[in-house]
Amino acid sequence: MGFLRGILMLTACALGWAIFRVPAPAEDAANSKTADRPVFSKQVGPLLAQYCVRCHGGTKPKAGLALDNYKDDAAALRAREVWERVGPLVRAHEMPPAKQPQPTQAETQLIIAWIDSVTSADTCIGQKDPGRVTLRRLNRAEYNNTVRDLVGVKFQPADDFPADDVGYGFDNIGDVLSLPPLLLEKYLAAAERIVTSALATPDLRTRIMICTPTLATKDECARKILEAFARRAYRRPPTSGEVDRLAKFVRLAESQGDSFDKGIELALEAILTSPNFLFLVERDPTPARAGGPPRISQHELATRLSYFLWSSMPDGELFQQAGKATLNKDGNLENQIRRMLNDPKSRALVDNFAGQWLQLRNLKSFTPDPKRFPSFDESLRAAMLQETEEFFASVIREDRSILDFLDADFTFVNERLAKHYGIPGIHGSRFQRVALTGDQRGGILSQASILAETSNPTRTSPVKRGKWVLENILGTPPPPPPPGAGALNESKASDPSASLRKLMEQHRANPDCASCHARMDPLGFGLENYDAIGAWRDREGGSPIDASGVLPGGQTFNGPRQLKAILMSKQGAFARCLAEKMLTYALGRGLEHYDRCAVDKICDQVARDHYKFSSLVVAIVQSDPFQMRRSKEGQ
Amino acid sequence: MGEHLRISRRTVLKGLGTAIALPMLEAMAPVVSIAGQVRKAPPLRMAFIYIPNGIHMPTWTPGALGSKFVLPETLEPLKPVQDDLLVLSGLTLDKARAHGDGPGDHARAMTAFLTGRQPRKTHGADIRAGVSADQVAAEHVGKLTRFPSLELGCDRGLNSGNCDSGYSCAYSANISWRADSSPMAMEVNPRLVFERLFGNDHLGETNASRAKRDRYQLSVLDFVMEDALRLKTKLGTPDQRKLDEYLTGVRELEVRINRADAPAAKAPGTITRPPGMPADYREHVRLLCDLLVLAYQGDLTRVATFVFANDGSNRPYPFLGVPDGHHDLSHHRGMKDKQAKLQKINHFHISQLAYLLQKMQAIREAEGNLLGNSMVVYGSGISDGNAHNHDDLPILLAGGGRGKIKGGRHIRYPKETPLTNLYLGMLDRMGVPVKSFGDSTGRLESLS
Repeated sequence: MGFLRGILMLTACALGWAIFRVPAPAEDAANSKTADRPVFSKQVGPLLAQYCVRCHGGTKPKAGLALDNYKDDAAALRAREVWERVGPLVRAHEMPPAKQPQPTQAETQLIIAWIDSVTSADTCIGQKDPGRVTLRRLNRAEYNNTVRDLVGVKFQPADDFPADDVGYGFDNIGDVLSLPPLLLEKYLAAAERIVTSALATPDLRTRIMICTPTLATKDECARKILEAFARRAYRRPPTSGEVDRLAKFVRLAESQGDSFDKGIELALEAILTSPNFLFLVERDPTPARAGGPPRISQHELATRLSYFLWSSMPDGELFQQAGKATLNKDGNLENQIRRMLNDPKSRALVDNFAGQWLQLRNLKSFTPDPKRFPSFDESLRAAMLQETEEFFASVIREDRSILDFLDADFTFVNERLAKHYGIPGIHGSRFQRVALTGDQRGGILSQASILAETSNPTRTSPVKRGKWVLENILGTPPPPPPPGAGALNESKASDPSASLRKLMEQHRANPDCASCHARMDPLGFGLENYDAIGAWRDREGGSPIDASGVLPGGQTFNGPRQLKAILMSKQGAFARCLAEKMLTYALGRGLEHYDRCAVDKICDQVARDHYKFSSLVVAIVQSDPFQMRRSKEGQ
Repeated sequence: MGEHLRISRRTVLKGLGTAIALPMLEAMAPVVSIAGQVRKAPPLRMAFIYIPNGIHMPTWTPGALGSKFVLPETLEPLKPVQDDLLVLSGLTLDKARAHGDGPGDHARAMTAFLTGRQPRKTHGADIRAGVSADQVAAEHVGKLTRFPSLELGCDRGLNSGNCDSGYSCAYSANISWRADSSPMAMEVNPRLVFERLFGNDHLGETNASRAKRDRYQLSVLDFVMEDALRLKTKLGTPDQRKLDEYLTGVRELEVRINRADAPAAKAPGTITRPPGMPADYREHVRLLCDLLVLAYQGDLTRVATFVFANDGSNRPYPFLGVPDGHHDLSHHRGMKDKQAKLQKINHFHISQLAYLLQKMQAIREAEGNLLGNSMVVYGSGISDGNAHNHDDLPILLAGGGRGKIKGGRHIRYPKETPLTNLYLGMLDRMGVPVKSFGDSTGRLESLS
């Protein structure tokens, strides 16, 4: 898993000593870890004795946690539950408590690495913890899409909401999405605006007002209208108690001398402000039999599906299937997924998943220096973005291989972008598919959007590009630089006019920086033929571009074509990286050690299915973390 | 009746004739006669203004201590308000240091700046930051005004990717925290700030229809509150926390609507509704400054935060002749040309502060002027952006604190004096009873 490797990297890179072999991305992390696991009795045990046992040992260990009774490695290995408890606390520096002597960073990393090797080195047999998604509210995109599908209004109320905070690279993470008072204020105002506008628009009004009241049927009619609306808004059938309470708004309005309509209006506002609408509510399941799989309900599954693929509420068909409990029936799920991917609403995957995985949203704030890059303007920025979006959309639409992201013989350009790329014969602002020949373009790493968003305003940044590839393509993010790294080297008076490559070589002369930059920099150098706005260049400032590099394993390459060939040979690592990102997005939570088996399985399935995009989506939807939720008993 | 109603009509009249007229509180007129015998001292306000990536300190710190200091190059725009200004040197934000958490100085600096607590390092699960000083104040004086606090900023925050070395973007996109895991989102769009302060959707409605609308809104809030309480009993603990945030928001709205004596203020005639997000950063900052002053002037809030740019911001300043990104420049590695550019950015931000402070100074109030009745902190949680050090921070305190702060001085405090000691001193003056705050070790001395 990326995060496990990250920890190992930290140990190896930042501290400069490799107690663990860094597993190659495609390797099975668990196997390599067992082989390289530190020795408990010699390395970890003494640290626990030094820092923990004073409280967690003896006859009355604190919190009932004794860490001093493991005679050998085997005994320690058996106590897996203990380490699952200890690991997060040590990792978060909660233990030892701040007032007690603290282990050094190296010691902490050693303990964590050992614990991780124990807690995740297990076979993928039997029921794994499917995890638990923290109650998550709709984010801005989901709110807009949901209101569009629920009511049909043309405006996007959430555009005025405050930005959604990002965690694990995405803005749909339950733990991170908070709800400040300002937002509740906006929800209330938006509900009023949406309902007033819907009831004033004849065709939208008829969709809501499905019953015309007479004096005798008023209450019954109100219930009918509100039941139907709440069913869709809450993404499950409302209870009769809920409908009762909603219907009271009609009586309230009439008691104030207002109309039936006003009462409905208030009730609809209440629905749109209710936590049942604003949050994707999931109950902790109670398995039918002890130890049985804790499956989420059919309506919850329909909701997970639609917010994953559409960033919106389930449609009529999904509701119907959920109502009949047929979603998981043989082959049906796959059919539903394909139907949903073919629906224009799957554009949400481009906007929200691709936009964040590829960090395209950051392109908006990229401001290249106009003196150095006079050709950059807003139409070029828009074209850069659209190319990558169209490309991603075509992978979905044509159910192409996800390896096309690494290298492809086609892309989408308009006249503006074609000119930027030096592709002749394209006219007009409309985007069109073009076949690519030659070495310059093909795959997302040669798209101007990615190349620009990883550049500085005045020049390219091989470090940022390399880091981007490690994070988003290979799934092996480098650990952050050690404290003070930026300030270290060049105080030794380097020549300010030295080339970028030379400066970075000096930087790498520092052993604290060397091991990680040895992974980042060459990847970035391989893309040096693209300037900071992604235009091709053979020379810079009079000197020819040197786009050669040596990877830590000794592999050498020259130029983007050869770099891409190397990445293609790491297709397993890429598929895993993408699977981890997409599973995070699909679940709305960060991945944990217990998700490893699910990710393994997804990766196997995708490889078997020739890396087809839809097979990735299907495998994710069929995975345990997606289908299940930790039961009450499991907590 | 709320305290703010005791602002006399005379106070209001005194405010007129300045560049921007005072927004009229509808309720003010009927209650207080023009003869306005009820005289109450104007309220004390506080603001915290944040700038990212540290400062080029050599042109920031005055050479001399005490009242005989000359403003250095970067602070030079503050000359007109120098008598209302304290330069506080030597303060430290210890909780922005790694303490074993490794890199992430920008996220930590911004989060800890007002909390004085070390944020928990996490990509998302279990965010914990601590309560910020502004929210401690808002908790206490917030009920006296229409908005307990106002959160303003110019950056929406990164929309994707990692924000800073393993810290969730929540940390580097928020400075104000109401509770451990509840950041107060910033409003960045001047138009929306305007509409929130002076919302005019229902202008011209009668008292009766207004009262009815309030009743309806309260019944909607009652309904959703009940929904949330019912739901809460069915969910696990982490989910319940999320619903608590929701419930707090509902209660806050209820209080506001229930306060029949705090109607929406009318926007003063001299400011028009801003069109939206200005493309020009200078205009953006100034519009938000204008709105902040209006909010104070109308006593719509007494507590505010304003983030000129999020920490780690790589914004270029082409209009200053600085096409490079701010964060890239802040790692200047001792290179003179980079430092010169940094200084330009620092100077620009100080000019914006000077604009705000002068504007406040121009607004007369019963006992002097708005600036005299305020405490405005300006600073960064990082000192030198290259070294990422969190001691000897660049910190200013402007405003007279309603007579409780004596400006016009440069004070140097002993090494490692916690920044939070300053906040304790301010909370005291605000009348907020707090014994300690964050990592404070006492009250900052010599402010008065």
